[in-house]
Amino acid sequence: MTEVERHSYDVLVIGAGGAGLRAAIEAREQGLRTAVICKSLFGKAHTVMAEGGCAAAMGNVNSGDNWQVHFRDTMRGGKFLNNWRMAELHAKEAPDRVWELETYGALFDRTGDGRISQRNFGGHEYPRLAHVGDRTGLELIRTMQQKVVSLQQEDYRDLGDYDARLKVFSECTVTQLLNDDSGAISGAFAYWRESGRFVQFDAPAVVLATGGIGKSFSVTSNSWEYTGDGHALAMRAGAKLINMEFVQFHPTGMVWPPSVKGILVTEGVRGDGGVLKNANGERFMFNYIPDVFKGYYADNPEEADRWYSDPNNNRRTPDLLPRDEVARAINTEVKEGRGSPHGGVYLDIASRLSDEEIERRLPSMHHQFKELADVDITSEAMEVGPTCHYVMGGVAVDPDTGAADGVPGLFAAGECAGGMHGSNRLGGNSLSDLLVFGRRAGAGAAEYLSSLTERPTANQTQVDEAARAAVEPFGAGETYENPYTLQSDLQRLMNDLVGIIRTEGEMSEALTKLRDLAERARHVGIEGNRQYNPGWHLALDLSNMLLVSECVARAALRRTESRGGHTRDDFPKMDAEWRHTLLECTLDGESVTVTPGEQVPMRADLLELFELTELEKYYTEPELVEHPARSGAQREEGAP
Amino acid sequence: MASPTPTDTAAHDTSQIPAPEGSITVTVRVLRFNPEFDDEPHWESYDVPALPTDRVLNLLINIKSYVDGTLSFRRSCAHGICGSDAMQINGVNRLACKVLIKDLLAKGNKRTTISVAPIKGLPQMKDLYVDMEPFFEAFKAVKPYLIAYGNEPTHERIQSQADRERFDDTTKCILCACCTTSCPVFWSDGSYFGPAAIVNAHRFIFDSRDEGSEERLDILNDTEGVWRCRTTFNCTDACPRGIQVTKAIQEVKQALLFKRV
Repeated sequence: MTEVERHSYDVLVIGAGGAGLRAAIEAREQGLRTAVICKSLFGKAHTVMAEGGCAAAMGNVNSGDNWQVHFRDTMRGGKFLNNWRMAELHAKEAPDRVWELETYGALFDRTGDGRISQRNFGGHEYPRLAHVGDRTGLELIRTMQQKVVSLQQEDYRDLGDYDARLKVFSECTVTQLLNDDSGAISGAFAYWRESGRFVQFDAPAVVLATGGIGKSFSVTSNSWEYTGDGHALAMRAGAKLINMEFVQFHPTGMVWPPSVKGILVTEGVRGDGGVLKNANGERFMFNYIPDVFKGYYADNPEEADRWYSDPNNNRRTPDLLPRDEVARAINTEVKEGRGSPHGGVYLDIASRLSDEEIERRLPSMHHQFKELADVDITSEAMEVGPTCHYVMGGVAVDPDTGAADGVPGLFAAGECAGGMHGSNRLGGNSLSDLLVFGRRAGAGAAEYLSSLTERPTANQTQVDEAARAAVEPFGAGETYENPYTLQSDLQRLMNDLVGIIRTEGEMSEALTKLRDLAERARHVGIEGNRQYNPGWHLALDLSNMLLVSECVARAALRRTESRGGHTRDDFPKMDAEWRHTLLECTLDGESVTVTPGEQVPMRADLLELFELTELEKYYTEPELVEHPARSGAQREEGAP
Repeated sequence: MASPTPTDTAAHDTSQIPAPEGSITVTVRVLRFNPEFDDEPHWESYDVPALPTDRVLNLLINIKSYVDGTLSFRRSCAHGICGSDAMQINGVNRLACKVLIKDLLAKGNKRTTISVAPIKGLPQMKDLYVDMEPFFEAFKAVKPYLIAYGNEPTHERIQSQADRERFDDTTKCILCACCTTSCPVFWSDGSYFGPAAIVNAHRFIFDSRDEGSEERLDILNDTEGVWRCRTTFNCTDACPRGIQVTKAIQEVKQALLFKRV
């Protein structure tokens, strides 16, 4: 038996990004003893990299905005594969969450009359993103970090202990969730990155808020933490993942120099007037408006340019189509030989805004290009190309509470939860997702706790086994695999074979190669000891990356259509029969099983928010018989 | 790993690191320390390939990936927003993800040497890792959160663009500790709050929505507070976000002297 530090809490939140912190604040405010565990230093989470803003239909800039419009935009962006209940809750509650954040002290850019300003973004009909320049994610994290400090100081005043009800365990990594014999969550097993010592957390409720999986791809905007930990932990605990085939490639990542390839260029550049051009100087996006969006976007540059100043009488520029569309368009331009010297296209803001405006509205972008690429974006165009940015897939959860399907006591929120964004997320809908569903998961955990008559207890054999598995890489013997080599092989494989454009042949090849990698991963070895040993940490992360990558490849192979963040060269069309089908990944022993499941049909009052002619582009005929325009029971617009 | 050598040596086999076209060889010296073996930190050298457009962080990641998997340093976002990879690069505090090799190249045909050491004034725990706890304690001590009384509004509080602009600069802080650990007063006496904490107090003191300025000013008027600042401007030079740190400290001093914000 290994010596293990042990703590007991009501709620354990894994991850200290936007979703994790909002969940922790909620749980603590409902009086629960809460712990937050994060791999990095507190306050450094990936959320800080969100630039553009937080989508919420407050209607501050255009009073025509409301939750119904936001809901419609979100469903369209996700090609109607979204969990409609999540999209509904999100659209309804996002304004309250933004206002609440403002009362916590968050800084926002303001309108002329002092309200929170909102900016345009891809796929959003109205200016909707509350923002602080181009550092909105940083402000969101900082504000919640400050809120945590204030709650801890309140607890010190009342209880004499800062950590009495809310404690942050930073630079600590969870390797396994623990459960009792019935399968209910009883805690988690972790190690301190600093000392390598083990920690056992006893807690009846665990909220996963670990973010995404982008580190399995070689060109990515994601930071090192994004190794799919929550996805993998949930699966091993018996939960199922949905929508794993949908991976968002953000259309505008830096492409040069090589050392910074993949770093994000905010969509705010386009929201504030920037346009995409190919090597011939053509604004090519007008050639890429898909049928489902025809009529919503300007089909000529003159109208598109008028839209910025007169949005009510002109259609928006196709530079602001949803991300999947723009990423595919750039990919095609480059493939057909109209790319920039370093394999991207041009993003031009220099000829569109004054130098002062660019520096004021996009200061981080200005610095980023100046410092890293020696490009002055006030006088030159940026070179940009697609970069792996976000996974729409995640833990299948109950929309209202974030409770994971099939595992009592397990909750998930934010990027590691699936459903909300369907096949493609709109920019700006992530920060609002974190706040809305972070809070709901915290509340869901509280509700679950109050329903428990007794707490599930840890199983000692499971703890011993977790400890044994964690030190396995130290006993690899004489010849062993370098974890970094394995990681870069995996990243290349996923990027090349399961990337932005997919085919059956390449994905089958990917699965074969993933099997080889998994075999090699059994022989991963490391040097040194357990104190701050990054090689060891990566060796443990690798098993999560491999598992999640297999889910992506298997689900992608199975879905024989193209939709949102899943593009099949061999099945280029969207297929209405696939719209109501969700692919569920579960773990059976060591192998991933993919099972098709049925999407719950949308509630009639929500379905009525869409014109029948639009729905017909996505739905099968039998699914629409209930629509009032079809059934003849047409009601007046706006009636419930 | 080979047992740490006491002298500065370049004996490491770096041949596994891919050398892209156009790369040159530079020597990276790292002040390494492993508390399990070492009584004191020591320099180790690595001759590594580098492109002029690489950042110091890229070289460190290559050393870790191909030469010594135990080399420890913090990094997260890797482009200057999270503030994890503050270190002394050639003696000055910088974020490793924002320093380009081309800006460090030696003149003429001389071999370029880049020295990397942990930020100063915080306990070195292993290699480039330092204990950030004292830094965050100072941050927490200035009540870095909005203090407002009365009923919470149902929507946002109204704040004019000018009022919001007033404290914009200090809200850019990423808590990387570059400023605090470049401050000679902090080096000689760790009980000084340090520039970062004052910057984070400034952001609320000058926020028109905040009603806690007096409490915060009282804290900063303390013996560990703003009066310890000797206006050396090291902090301003060190800030990777370009915050006018010294100016912010001066504004807090003035607020104390004239009792107004």
